[in-house]
Amino acid sequence: MTRVLDVDWTRCEGHGLCAALLPGRITRDEWGFPIIADGIETGPDVRRAVNACPALALHLTRT
Amino acid sequence: MTDLLHRQATSALPTSTPPTPSWAIGTPRLLAGLDSAGVLDARTHLAVHGPLPATDLGHLLGLLDAAHIAGRGGAGFDLAHKIRALRGAREVIVNGCESEPGSHKDRTLLTRSPHLVLDGALVLASAIGARTVTVAVHDPGAAQALRGAVAARPDSRHVRVRMVPGGFVSGEARALIRALAGGPARPPGRQTHSTDKGILLSNAESVAQVAILLRLGSHRYGSSGTAAEPGTTLLTVGGAVTRPGVVEIPLGTPLEIVLYAAGSAPPQAVVIGGYHGSWHAPPPGLLLSRAGLAAAGGSFGAGVLLVLDQNTCALGELARVARWLAAQSTKQCGPCRFGLPALAQDVVALYRGAPAEEAAHRHSRAVLGRGACHHPDGAVRFVTSGLRLLRDEVQSHRHGGCGRPILGQLPVTS
Repeated sequence: MTRVLDVDWTRCEGHGLCAALLPGRITRDEWGFPIIADGIETGPDVRRAVNACPALALHLTRT
Repeated sequence: MTDLLHRQATSALPTSTPPTPSWAIGTPRLLAGLDSAGVLDARTHLAVHGPLPATDLGHLLGLLDAAHIAGRGGAGFDLAHKIRALRGAREVIVNGCESEPGSHKDRTLLTRSPHLVLDGALVLASAIGARTVTVAVHDPGAAQALRGAVAARPDSRHVRVRMVPGGFVSGEARALIRALAGGPARPPGRQTHSTDKGILLSNAESVAQVAILLRLGSHRYGSSGTAAEPGTTLLTVGGAVTRPGVVEIPLGTPLEIVLYAAGSAPPQAVVIGGYHGSWHAPPPGLLLSRAGLAAAGGSFGAGVLLVLDQNTCALGELARVARWLAAQSTKQCGPCRFGLPALAQDVVALYRGAPAEEAAHRHSRAVLGRGACHHPDGAVRFVTSGLRLLRDEVQSHRHGGCGRPILGQLPVTS
């Protein structure tokens, strides 16, 4: 089963921790909201970013 | 010269909108009887439409499979698929919110032919085994007509008519379900499917189509429309036309015929599908079916058709609607909250002759697919299709302007 990194946009406040933890894979738009690259491999570092999100906006969703 | 771009929106919708004229190309089905009666009360309804045949789930699904009734609220989802996807305890919700400024078709049905909508809702409820039916509306006139109709028939004791708050995004299916459950009228953040909760949520016109289909049977239902898309559809036609109103057409009718019948001025552009829809060059050859519109990069959306004539500044009209769309954001999701106003400013900049094409492109991309609901995507689709069609207009504004005023042919609410 594949899992993709998903943002709950109603929660995301653009803190930017995810982009700091996953440089190159998550960048930020001009207002600071995350832009997630396609096809991110879900490893421990991705799970760490999910857990670090202060707004609880980042999720791993089954596809 | 009145500059509508810099004025507050001209006309707020009155609390209860006056009846919209209605007419048909071909034989009216949903609008049957409305040419002679203002409102179809229970008796007139029965005289015009006849009694409602009995049905069960299997029979109804068979009819729906043959008729391919796609949702008429905007998303266009197949009704039979929706019913098959239902899980758990059952409930029917009829979405009569109609938050699209140019749209009056659902209100027309709900206020003038409420029994037809109730017929369809009750048929669906009994077929899927739903214990409650909720009809949700924004318009007080529609609520009043429905409550009168519910009181006038013995089979609708479990029908509730609910007024829900207005607003473009609050009519979105998941926002509506939340509002009915006592929550905020905003879409939830996580993807949910109403069918997973056993909720069959369908637009007022779609539900009325079920009542027509059951009476006609699939063979007669298919005597109108195309082979792949049988039946009729409702449109609200407005803008630069002498006969604006709610129109019932056979699916597959050429756009030119509808424009001619509506008394359209020679169009500069036609907006199809409402403000999540798309801009089109004046036809020839565009067919008003799902396939015909898809081939032209469009869709029925909320069934709104707006004509811009040669006398209005189309780019200014686009800028006005872009601002309105930005204001409709519920401001839950950052990209929509910040991106849509930025995009609207880009269109205003283009109207003023500044080079903002690249910014508009960048802001469109920044919004697309990054929200809890379809509003940012729909708004971007509307704006980008407008800018694509109005490329020459953008150039003429770069070189001093088009010289035309903004006439407000695309209605917005305040």
